[in-house]
Amino acid sequence: MTAVALSRPARVLRIEIRRSVVLWSVPLLAALFFFDSFRTVSGFAPVWTVRSSVLTTNMIEDFGPFAAGLAAWVASREGRRKTGDLLAATSRPAWARQLCALGATLFWLLATYLACVAAVYIDTALQATWGGPPLWPIAVGVVEVVTFAVIGFTVGALFPGRFTAPLAAIGGFLLAFIGYHAALGVQPGMSTYALLSPSTAVPLGDAGVFYHVAPDLAIAQVMFMGGITVGLLGLLTLAPVFRVSYRGLLAGISRAGRWLCVAGVALLAAGVAAAATAFALAGTAKPGVSGWDIPALHDAASDQPVPYTPDCAGIALPVCVQPAFSAFLPAAAAALQPAAAELKGLPGAPVRAELVSDGNGTRNTQGMLFAGMPKPGVSGAPPVYNFNSDNGMAPLWGSPAGTDNAGWRAGFQQVFLSAFVAGPPQAGADILTPAQQAVVTALMTAIGSPAPQFDEAFTGNGQVVGGATQAQIAAAAQRFGSLSPAARHAWLAAHLTALRAGTLTLNQLP
Amino acid sequence: MTAAEVRSPSAAPAAPARWPTPPGVRLAWLHWRSRRVPAAVLALAVCGGVLRAALEWGWLFKTGHFAQEFPMIVEGGAAAVLVITTHSPFGEAERTASRWLPYLRLGTALAMTGMAIGIIQLCVTGASLDGGILVMARNVLGVTGIGLLSSLVTGGLLAWILPMGYIAFAEYALLQSWTNPWTWPVRPPTDRGAWLCACLVFGIGLAAFTIRGARTRLAEDG
Repeated sequence: MTAVALSRPARVLRIEIRRSVVLWSVPLLAALFFFDSFRTVSGFAPVWTVRSSVLTTNMIEDFGPFAAGLAAWVASREGRRKTGDLLAATSRPAWARQLCALGATLFWLLATYLACVAAVYIDTALQATWGGPPLWPIAVGVVEVVTFAVIGFTVGALFPGRFTAPLAAIGGFLLAFIGYHAALGVQPGMSTYALLSPSTAVPLGDAGVFYHVAPDLAIAQVMFMGGITVGLLGLLTLAPVFRVSYRGLLAGISRAGRWLCVAGVALLAAGVAAAATAFALAGTAKPGVSGWDIPALHDAASDQPVPYTPDCAGIALPVCVQPAFSAFLPAAAAALQPAAAELKGLPGAPVRAELVSDGNGTRNTQGMLFAGMPKPGVSGAPPVYNFNSDNGMAPLWGSPAGTDNAGWRAGFQQVFLSAFVAGPPQAGADILTPAQQAVVTALMTAIGSPAPQFDEAFTGNGQVVGGATQAQIAAAAQRFGSLSPAARHAWLAAHLTALRAGTLTLNQLP
Repeated sequence: MTAAEVRSPSAAPAAPARWPTPPGVRLAWLHWRSRRVPAAVLALAVCGGVLRAALEWGWLFKTGHFAQEFPMIVEGGAAAVLVITTHSPFGEAERTASRWLPYLRLGTALAMTGMAIGIIQLCVTGASLDGGILVMARNVLGVTGIGLLSSLVTGGLLAWILPMGYIAFAEYALLQSWTNPWTWPVRPPTDRGAWLCACLVFGIGLAAFTIRGARTRLAEDG
């Protein structure tokens, strides 16, 4: 008897799953995933943390609105068809029917979402050279999809009508967009509540590579979204009570069932408490070594650097990268060898090139810089050229196959030669002087690369830094480049200190 | 009660009040009411209000390439809402009994599209909507066309799904700076190809919907 009794809800659920309208939307969701999320993630570097970020950005924007709209459609079924009175006489309570309908909706939504997650992770696994699949983004993504669906379901159940579903979908769309817009604007020292947004910024290219990504923010997001979900489920449970008038409140409670009301109130209270706690926690977030830290949730042990054995290549100049970027190593090493050969024997010439952390917790647009992080450039004894994955001219981003071109190589060489000519990195000394630009241009030409562009030398009103025009710099570079390699080398050896100090003018170049 | 009382004829029912407007107007009004047009107008006003609020309170990027993201969602949403009015609660009986139905369908679709454009423009007047009325009208027209075509397959009540899917795809096209004319929401206001595509989709959708009407079965099963 027990087995038969237990199988009835399962049978109802199975019927709901088989006739769920969400099934009809699966091809659309799959197409959206392919065009938006999958194509976007294919353009990211094969680094697990970076690629998994699509689970809570693009995929939520694809799934969230439809989860809300379709759930609202399913929930408004009884109200739309005006079958409430008919179904009130059935042996099963309203919450049981709604739970089955919601369960079937979530079944197809989550099955589709998880299949898409599997596609992203399988594609990443085939290309990644280090690390493993992060699980927190999956948890956050699943909870976000469930939350969107429960919000839509609640709206559909409470306000049934033919316009409820599209309005819920539009609301989900706008909610995701507004949250994303707010999350992009979060800066240290300002309000950080927007970090709870369903969609957040794409992390830097080396997120989770040099330092573990702390799960603090993910925990807060799950707690916040989960709290909203649980609270809304409580509201749905209490919905029959709300429908009666004030005078009939006790009768309504009696009809809905006392224990059911207690459960509804408990769910509502627990949900509100969880969401409020997560909201308060998000307000205390501050930038850490690899993302946002929430002091109450943070484990200091996770701030330790991730140990790794670097992958190295190159003879004239060994180039070493974190194994996650091994696919970029051949291109990086090939680009730096001819440039390093030009500098060989000069004082301060780097003996090794090494990939270092970007030093930013999140996107650059949020303006986060951490003291103590190595800045790109040539420094140390013996001199080492430190470069990072977020190099603006030749980033270790996108498909590694995309680095096999002259433009990327030239950008990588220009940054390297500029770093050498400029000397050890100093704050506010990123713009090269005209003489430094001319030397870099001559060295680039000498190794067979196109002449570099130094757009940053110009100010906003068209004036030139250092009082020289592009034509004057090009003429000086041509003059310097026409020297024999030995003469050029000798001049650099003798004048490198003055060149780095910025005291040389174009006329003083040979 | 006596038998005489039963036999005596009851008072004649009061004659229906004469409708003060022409029958054609009454027919159109009844058709609109059966399609929930007044509620749809209210929903369109909500969409316009949300867009106005977003422009006023800075929920969106006001300039630059991404300034179209938010308006595109609202405009597509308005189109998704108005195609819901294609659903008929009467189904086959109405199809067989009303010879004016195609004209009513045509008029309703045109009027709703015009109202959507007008209401949104009214709501954002003076708020510097990116792209202006041209982009907004093109988006509403094109996405409505998709919705009308969709209603032939899914029925009116589920016809919002495909337009919303197109808007989600257009968001991706905007981020990727696509230039195909069939991604008209991301094209400049005066782009001829984009206008052609949007109007073509709207024209085909309108013609097909006028002739065949929205499907009723699938939506009823859902």
